[in-house]
Amino acid sequence: MNYMRPAILFLFMLILAGCVTSYTPENIESEQALVVEGLITDRPGPYTINLSVSIPLWSANKAVRMTGCTVWITDDANGSYTLKEGSRIGSYLTDSANFRGVPGRTYTLHIITNKGMENLNYDSYPMKMVAAPPVDSVYYEKKLFNQNGYGIVEGCQIFLNTHDPAGECRFYRWEYNETWEFSLPHNYTVLNRTCWISQNSEGILIKNSSSLENGKISRFPILTISNPVDRLSVKYSILVNQFSLNEDEFYYWEKIKNMTEATGGFYDIVPASIPSNVYCLDDVTKKVLGYFCVSSVTSKRIFIRDSFSGENMMYYNCPTGIYTGTTTIPRLNDSLWVIITYPDSVPVQRIVTSKFECVSCIGRGSGTEPSFWHDDK
Amino acid sequence: MRSKFCIMVITLCLCCRLAAQEKYTVTWEFKAQSFREFVTKAESLLPVKFYYKEDWIADLKLSDCPGCTTVPSVLTSLFNGTSLHFFIDNSGHIVITRDFAVKRPDVVNEDVKLYIPTAYFAESGGEQQKTENMFVEIGNKVDRNRPGNVSVSGYVTNSDTHEKIGGATVSVPKLSKGTISNEYGFYSITLPRGTYEVQFSFVGMKEKKINLNLFGTGEMNVDMKGMLIPLKETFISAEKNTTLQRFEAGAEKINLSSFRLTPTSLGEPDLMKNILLISGVQSAGEGSAGFNVRGGSADQNLILIDGAPLYNTSHFFGFFSAVNSDIIRDVTLYKGGIPARYGGRISSVLDIVTIEGNPNKFSGSAGISPITTRLMVEGPIIKDTLSYVLAARTTYSNWIFGLIKNPDIRESRALFYDMNGSLTWNPDKKNKFELSAYHSYDNSRFNSDAVYGYMNATALLKWQHFFTSRFISNFSINNSFYKYNVTDREVETEEYFRSHRLNSTELLADFNLFRGNNNFNFGLDMTMYSVLPGSYRPASPTSSVVSHSIENERALETALYLEDKITLTDYLSVNAGMRVSSFLSFGPQTVYMYDPEIPRSGSSIYDTLYYRRGAISGKYAGLEPRLSLNFRLSGTSSLKINYNRTRQYIHLLTNSMSISPTDTWKLSGYYLKPQIGDQFAAGLYKFMFDKKLEASAEIYYKTIRNMIDYKGGTTLTFIENIEQETIDVRGKSYGLELGLKETEGKVRYSLSYTFARTFIRSTGKSGGEMINSGNWYPANYDKPNDLVVTYNYLFSRRLSFSAAYTYSTGRPITYPVATYRIRDNLVVQYSERNKYRIPDYSRLDVSCKISGNLKSKRAAHPDLTFSVYNLLGRDNVYSVYFKRDQEIIKGYKLSIFGRPIPTVTFNFNF
Repeated sequence: MNYMRPAILFLFMLILAGCVTSYTPENIESEQALVVEGLITDRPGPYTINLSVSIPLWSANKAVRMTGCTVWITDDANGSYTLKEGSRIGSYLTDSANFRGVPGRTYTLHIITNKGMENLNYDSYPMKMVAAPPVDSVYYEKKLFNQNGYGIVEGCQIFLNTHDPAGECRFYRWEYNETWEFSLPHNYTVLNRTCWISQNSEGILIKNSSSLENGKISRFPILTISNPVDRLSVKYSILVNQFSLNEDEFYYWEKIKNMTEATGGFYDIVPASIPSNVYCLDDVTKKVLGYFCVSSVTSKRIFIRDSFSGENMMYYNCPTGIYTGTTTIPRLNDSLWVIITYPDSVPVQRIVTSKFECVSCIGRGSGTEPSFWHDDK
Repeated sequence: MRSKFCIMVITLCLCCRLAAQEKYTVTWEFKAQSFREFVTKAESLLPVKFYYKEDWIADLKLSDCPGCTTVPSVLTSLFNGTSLHFFIDNSGHIVITRDFAVKRPDVVNEDVKLYIPTAYFAESGGEQQKTENMFVEIGNKVDRNRPGNVSVSGYVTNSDTHEKIGGATVSVPKLSKGTISNEYGFYSITLPRGTYEVQFSFVGMKEKKINLNLFGTGEMNVDMKGMLIPLKETFISAEKNTTLQRFEAGAEKINLSSFRLTPTSLGEPDLMKNILLISGVQSAGEGSAGFNVRGGSADQNLILIDGAPLYNTSHFFGFFSAVNSDIIRDVTLYKGGIPARYGGRISSVLDIVTIEGNPNKFSGSAGISPITTRLMVEGPIIKDTLSYVLAARTTYSNWIFGLIKNPDIRESRALFYDMNGSLTWNPDKKNKFELSAYHSYDNSRFNSDAVYGYMNATALLKWQHFFTSRFISNFSINNSFYKYNVTDREVETEEYFRSHRLNSTELLADFNLFRGNNNFNFGLDMTMYSVLPGSYRPASPTSSVVSHSIENERALETALYLEDKITLTDYLSVNAGMRVSSFLSFGPQTVYMYDPEIPRSGSSIYDTLYYRRGAISGKYAGLEPRLSLNFRLSGTSSLKINYNRTRQYIHLLTNSMSISPTDTWKLSGYYLKPQIGDQFAAGLYKFMFDKKLEASAEIYYKTIRNMIDYKGGTTLTFIENIEQETIDVRGKSYGLELGLKETEGKVRYSLSYTFARTFIRSTGKSGGEMINSGNWYPANYDKPNDLVVTYNYLFSRRLSFSAAYTYSTGRPITYPVATYRIRDNLVVQYSERNKYRIPDYSRLDVSCKISGNLKSKRAAHPDLTFSVYNLLGRDNVYSVYFKRDQEIIKGYKLSIFGRPIPTVTFNFNF
C-alpha cells in the first residue's frame, strides 16, 4: 500500500526560503560488498544467479563480477541443484533439464565464494514460492495530460486488475515490457519507415492486497503514457509479468522503493542499506546486498490500437528540404546531413535532412517485426 | 472583609513612617468587655479598623489596666504573655497576628537588643533603615533564650495574581542557608533563634527582604510583586539563588521575560525554540519537532501541561510549539535529578505550568505575527474566589500558499489553532480546585490529495487540600488524548482514511509533609493507557479498501513514590527518593512466536499466542532510585551530585530524522521491553563578582537499556508486528556543559558550551539484527560541539535589543557509498550508519523590542518586536540527500531559512 509520508512537506520547506543545490560530499570511502541477484520462478529455466561486488559511487567502474564461486540451490523436498557459471562471468545458471521451480516449495541458495573473496560460505534464508494467480485484466483509459511545452495532450493510463481466488497470494510485484510500432512521416521517401521499439519497465511496482476487499487489486496503475512521442501512434503492446512474493520479499522491495523516494525532508526514513536475505555463515558482520528472489509468474499481454488526440510531434524537428538541380545545400558542414539523391529524376532531386533518424527508423527501433505482433488478431 | 483577615498575609509594601498610634485614645470603660465588644466600640469611636481571626479572641476578656489610655497600650497589656501581636499602620488598620509580630524598622523594640548579640544587630540593623523592609517577629519573645533550632514555613504568593509561587528561593545570607518553595508555593526552613534577613526571590519578581526576629516555630506568608517590565534590576538574583538552593543538578527554569525577547524564525515567542538554547538540549535541525536532552531520543521527554502529559508538542510538523506562550506561567526542564514524583520517561521532564485567572480584575493580551494571531483574557467570575483564563491562537498562513505560483503548493492548506482554558476556585483557604483544558488542532493539505489532521486534548481536575499548612494533599485526574488522521485520495479506487489514537487517563494522589528538616513527598500515580495503533478504512463508498484495525493496546502503569528532601547540615542537603513502577498490559492481544534462528519476519513465525480479554500479556516492574546531594561549598558556590534511574513504558515509533506527528505511540508489551535510563551527573556552580556572574559546569554519564532502532527502509505507519522491524539497541551518552551567565544590569549575556556524545549499539547476534556490525555508532542527534551565546542590551525600560548565536557540529548522516542492480533497478548501498556528518551549523538572530507607555495605570501596553532570523544569511544545510538521475546518483543539499528572515510582531496587553 502506498502510505504517504509527510515527505511532501519538502514543498513547504521550499517556499520557506528553502533551496536545493547540488552537493557532493567529500572523502567518502567506498565500501564493497557481495551483491547477490537472482530470480527463480516456475517458468522453464535456466534461471540465473548473478554474483558481483558493488560499484563504488561516482566511479566509472563496471561491476566486478565474481567468477569461480560454487553455487547451489536446495529445496524443502531434499532436492539439491548445482548452478554452473555461464558464458557471462559471474552468472551462474541452473540446469533447465533438472530444475524448475514449483509453487509451494521452499528454496535456499548456497554460495561459497572463490579464494579471492576469502572462501566464505553464504546462505539465503529459506524462501517460499507462492503460487501466482492469473492476471485478471490489463486495460487502458484515455487521459488528458498537461504536457510542458506541448499543451494538453491525450495519452493513456494502463491499469491492472488481479486477485487470487485461492486467497494465497497477497503480495505482488510486476514487471512489464512495452513494444510499439512507429513510422516516419510520410511527406518524403525514407530508407525504412516502420520499426518497433521494445523496452523494459522502470521502477518498482509492488502491491500488498491484504487490506483490500477479497484481496482484489483493481485499477493498479502500471504506467502512464503521456509524453508526446509516437508510442501510441500506430500500435502499442504491453506484456505484464505478475510475480508472486512471499511476505519477506515484499517488504524487501517496499524498503528499496522507500529508499529511492527520499526527498531530503526530516520526515523521510533515515537512509540505510536494506538487508539482504543472504547472509554470511562465517562472519555475520559481513555485508551482503541484493536478494535471492523466488516467485511464481503469470503474465498478460494487451494491444492498443486507438486514436489519441494531439499530434505526434516526434519528427517535428526533422528539417527536410527538397533541392532540385545542383544548388548548394546551406550549412552543409555544420552537422550531420543525410542526403538522398534521386539521380534518375529530371532535374536531379535531392531530399535533405540533418538527422539520420528522420530518414531511417532503424537505430531508434528495430526493423524486425516482433513474433507476437499479430497475436491480437 | 472585616474580622476574617488571614493572619499570614503580610503586605510588605507598606512604606509609611508615621507613628500615629498616640491619637487613638481610649475614652470608655473597657474593663470586663469582651474583645469583640472592645473592637466594636473602638471602631465606632476611633478611626481604626481591626483585622483578626475570630477563634483567637473568642475567650479574650479585657481586664483592668492602669495607665492604659490608648488603643496600643490596651492591646499591649492584653496580649502580653499570649502569642498574639498587633500592628497599626498610619491609616488606622490594626492587624492582629498570631505567633509572629510585624514591626516597622523605626519602632524596633529595645527588648530585642537585649537578647540578640549586638554585633548581629548592628550588622543587619544599619541597612534596615534604608530599605523599606519589614520587621517580623515569630514566636513568643519569652522563648528567645531557649537553645535549639526552630522552623519557619509559609507560602509565597504572587500578590498580583494570587497564585502560589513554586520554585521561589528563600535564603538567609547570614547563615548561607536557603531553600526553595515547592510547587504549592510552600517553603520551610529551619534556623537557630535569632535575627536574620530573609530574602525571597523568584524569576521575574521583585526581590523581597524581611528582617526576622525568630523566637519560635511559626509561619510567615509572603506576597511577591511581579515585574511587569523586565528591565529593573531587582528580579534577576532569583535565578542565581535557585541554582544554589535546588537539590538537583540539571534542573533549569526558563526565564520567561528573556524568553519573550529571544528572536525566533517566525516572529513568535516559542517555548521549544527556547528550550533548545539550554545546554544539553539539541534537536535534529531547525523546524523539526521534538528535542533531545542529554542524548535521549525525543520520545523520552515527559512534557506536562499543568500535570497532564502532552503527546505532541508541535504545530505544523514542528515549526511552532503547540503551547501558546501567553499562558505559560512557569517552565522547568529537568535534564537530570528528576524528582521521584515524575516518571514514565527516561530523559527529561518539561513541566509547563499555565497561569491562573486573575481573581481581581479583568485583563488580557493580544498579539499578531506574520503567521499567527492570538488572544488571551482572564478575570474573576466571583472576585477573589473564582477566576478564569481563556487563551486562543490560530494561524492565517493560508494566504502564503496562495502567493505561490506552483499549483501543488497553491492547492495546499495549513490550519492550526490551540486553546487553553482554566477555572480556579478557592472556596476557602484549605481547598483549591482547578479545572483546566487544552486543545490543539492541526490540519494540513498538500497537493490537494492528502489531508493530515492531528489533535491533542487534555483535561484536568485538581483538588488541593491543606490538612494543615505543613501537610498538603493534591488529588488530580487528567485525561490526555492524541490522534491523527490521514486521508489520502491519491488512488481513486483506494481512497483511505488512516488514524492513530492514544488516550491516557491518570490518577494522581500526591502528598507533601513538612517535618523539621524533612520535606516528604509521596504518592500514587496510576495511568491507564489505551492505544489504537492504527485503523484503516475506506474514505469513499467506491474505495475498495477494507476497514481494518490493528489490535488495541491497553495497559496500566502504576507507581508509588516517596521522596525526602533533608537539610542535614548547613552545608549538605540530600534529596533521596524511590519510585516503584509497574506496568501491566492487557489482552485481547495476539503475539507471534518466531524462530529464534533467523531474523523475525512474517515467514519465521512458528506459533501464535492469544491473550483473551483482560488477560495480562506483559508485565514489568522495577525500582527507580533517585538521589541528589547538594554540598554548599560557600555562600556563592555549591556542588551537586545526583543519580537517577527512570523507566519508560511507552515509545514513539519513528525512523525519520525528526519525530513527526504521524509517528505512532506503542506501549511496552511482549516484545517491547521498558526502556531503562541511568544517569549520573555532577555540577559545580559558582557566583563571581558580587554574584553578578554565574558560572556552572556539569558533567553527566547516561546509559539507556532496551532502546529500539529499526531495520533500514521500514515504513512504520500502520505496522502490525513491529518486532519484525526493530533492532534491539542500547545507548550511552556523556557530556560536559559549561555555562557563564551575567543576568544583571543593562548588558546581559550568557554563554554556554556543550560537549556531548551519544552512541548506540545493537545487541542482536545475527547479521540482520545488527547495525554497523554491532559496534557503537553515533545517534542521529549526536552533535559533539554546541555553542550558544545570547546577548541582551537594555537601552532603556522601553527599548531592548537581543541577539542569539548558535553553533553546532553537523548531525551525523548515512551517505550512499555504492550501487548495485537488482532486477534492473539501480539500488544504492549506504555506508555504515551515521558514519558521516553534514556541514556545521551556525546562525545569528537579532531582535529589538519597543515597549509602549509603561505607566501601569494606562489601559493598554502595546509592544512591538522586530526580529531578524539568520541575520548573516548563512546557508545552513538542513539535510543532504541523494536521488537517482538516470543511471547516476546525484547529491543535493537542502537549506531552509537560507537567508535573513525579518518579522514584526505586535503585542498588546490590556
